[in-house]
Amino acid sequence: MSEVKYEKPTINKIEFAMASKYGSPMKTQNIRTEIDGVSVNKLTEKYGSPIFVFSQRQIEEKYNTLYSAFSSRYPDVTFGWSYKTNYLNEICKVFHNLGSIAEVVSEFEYQKARALGIEGKNIIFNGPYKPYEDLKIAVQEGAKIHVDNLFELNDLEKIADELDMKIPVAIRINMDTGTYPQWSRFGFNYESGDAYEAIKRMYDGGKLYLNGIHSHIGTFMLDANAYKLATTKIMQLKAQVETDFNSEIEYIDLGGGFASKSNLKGVYQSADVIVPTADDYAQAITDAIYANNKSEKLPKLYLETGRAMIDEAGYLLTSVHGYKRFPDGKKGYILDAGVNLLYTSTWYNFNIELDKHYEGENEPSMLNGPLCMNIDVIEEHLMLPALDRGSVLTISPVGAYNYTQAMQFIRYKPAVVMIDTKGEAHVIKDVDDLATVNYKEV
Amino acid sequence: MNTIDQLVLDENNILFYPMMGNSYQLNNLGNEIVTSLKQHKTKDEIIEALALKYEVSKSELFIDVSDFLSKLKIYGLLS
Repeated sequence: MSEVKYEKPTINKIEFAMASKYGSPMKTQNIRTEIDGVSVNKLTEKYGSPIFVFSQRQIEEKYNTLYSAFSSRYPDVTFGWSYKTNYLNEICKVFHNLGSIAEVVSEFEYQKARALGIEGKNIIFNGPYKPYEDLKIAVQEGAKIHVDNLFELNDLEKIADELDMKIPVAIRINMDTGTYPQWSRFGFNYESGDAYEAIKRMYDGGKLYLNGIHSHIGTFMLDANAYKLATTKIMQLKAQVETDFNSEIEYIDLGGGFASKSNLKGVYQSADVIVPTADDYAQAITDAIYANNKSEKLPKLYLETGRAMIDEAGYLLTSVHGYKRFPDGKKGYILDAGVNLLYTSTWYNFNIELDKHYEGENEPSMLNGPLCMNIDVIEEHLMLPALDRGSVLTISPVGAYNYTQAMQFIRYKPAVVMIDTKGEAHVIKDVDDLATVNYKEV
Repeated sequence: MNTIDQLVLDENNILFYPMMGNSYQLNNLGNEIVTSLKQHKTKDEIIEALALKYEVSKSELFIDVSDFLSKLKIYGLLS
């Protein structure tokens, strides 16, 4: 046997239209050998595959960039870490250590924040469904309650009676900011007057008083100007309420929705071109506060940025289990991670990076997950060289929502590793096993 | 004449199918396999020969050669 290097046999039809001045898709390979200095191959060898990997350095850099954009323009700004975006304890701790309070949308998330040592007064309790008993606990612990509907308002009045106290609350409002789709499901509508009516109803009841106005205008907002409009409307409502009810509203909350550098399906331009910068968002919001502030004091400003803060700091490492040739000529790779772990694959085209340079030309390929489900498609069409069994692919950005929405379905949920700021990897959640899955079954 | 006998292969691993006017880019091993097919070697004979030349198991070669032959069929180059 000789030492001739083996390279899988390949054949590709020459399509002259595929070559252009921008290069050839037959040659381009995106390669990632490491994350924060830690080899992707070593990570899968040591911790298994698939595996989620988070970079603490990248989280902190994002936080600091966004926070600086606001704090350099506005004197009183606080971030609330959006638990639903990623509520792994160690991830939440990173944000809390950076100065974030907690923003939760369920009793479970509320309990999680409390278990992490966050005081009630540092928890924003949002969401359309707040069970009565949990709402009562949140009130008792001084949480920032953001009222979503009139039923909740009634519940709060009942709680006020039970506790013999006047409860400070914020109200969530929705509005037209010139974007589509308009989020009108949460809170009270501004233009219709429902928001003002709800506030009037609150003051008429005499058991609650308004200390904040909140809106969350959408997700993956690619137009910073929408925040300018939202802030303007919030500030106008604030001024009206302060005048009409002789009150002082302590804070406004612009929610989340800032876009990450993910590539939306169906959008031609890259995220680098279309996603507003932290400065764009900050300028839009703070300008509108200054322009519309009618009271002596500027309101405290809260933001609940989730996606933009962590998406790019999260990676999913997955290994090639095998491949097959489909009747249309496409090569279908079977990976050990699928849509069970990549909820956002419905909307975003991920970056797919190889663990090394592979010899040979690219060919049309498809990435499929391990599920025995026809829908388990991570990427329907991409150009890849001939990969080996065991090749490690890095999928990103996946830091936002993918772990919290990952399903224990057919396969166990994978382990999660965080690479700290010294470049050392730590397991922050072990891979699930049969005991995890069977837990609580009777 | 079989399709495979009509194919023209050059030293740059370009395969030309005159009847259809299509060209294909091979790599070195693709070239070796097409050359063997033109010599009317069977799949088993090709795998046997490659196993002697490369440090790769026959079971892995079976997958890779099968895949290559599948793609030749999809392109209409092998009946």
